[in-house]
Amino acid sequence: MYRVLWVDNQIAELTRVEVFLEELGEEWAFQMPLVLSLNLVLEEALTNIISYGYDDEGKHSIEIVFRKIGAELIISIIDDGHAYDPTSNAEPDITLSAEERPVGGLGIFLIKKVMNKVEYQRKENKNYLILTKNIG
Amino acid sequence: MNVLVTSSNDYTIVTIEGRIDATSSNEFEKSVMEVIEEGNTKIILDCSGLNYISSSGLRVFLIALKKMKAIKGQLKLCNLQPVIQGIFDVSGFATIFSIFPDQKSAMER
Repeated sequence: MYRVLWVDNQIAELTRVEVFLEELGEEWAFQMPLVLSLNLVLEEALTNIISYGYDDEGKHSIEIVFRKIGAELIISIIDDGHAYDPTSNAEPDITLSAEERPVGGLGIFLIKKVMNKVEYQRKENKNYLILTKNIG
Repeated sequence: MNVLVTSSNDYTIVTIEGRIDATSSNEFEKSVMEVIEEGNTKIILDCSGLNYISSSGLRVFLIALKKMKAIKGQLKLCNLQPVIQGIFDVSGFATIFSIFPDQKSAMER
């Protein structure tokens, strides 16, 4: 099974992602907690791309491909922003006290916690973030 | 996202409804900061109606906690739905926040 969603580089597009995932969840028979987890993952990945990925003010399209192969759900997010490998991010120290904890830096960490595999590739001036989840 | 501010006993209760994501976190931050800047030192965030949170929302929770700690105030959370509790657990926020099952128990301790 295969579905594609295109979004523009605007935070307001997250609302469209939410609606799309609800429809996909019904179609592919996902439970609500899974739909919410996938929503979280996509929001974190897209917010990063939209906020930090582009050096110009222009409009860019981001492609999101959903594939269900057996018990695996594979989500590929493809953008034409500057090269950025989120898998190389340092993990936040989640044992720090409230006073010591820096604000922010949790987005990629949450993606890694929800998904079973997070891979990055740079091909033909595009970033490919490939996220895999076992959905049994 | 909707925020309702009420008071009960000595506490200011902020009831959150809906989603706190990158599209609504600024609005949420403004509402919570207003409550803190008004001088309320005992605040409960009732999350019974909160059904989605991303790192944008967690960011606001942490800022609010830091502010309250700096003024030696209390910030307590209650009524977290399982999905929200799960995100607080994996991010380590469950250990830095005081989380209670309901408003009553939050006020008692």
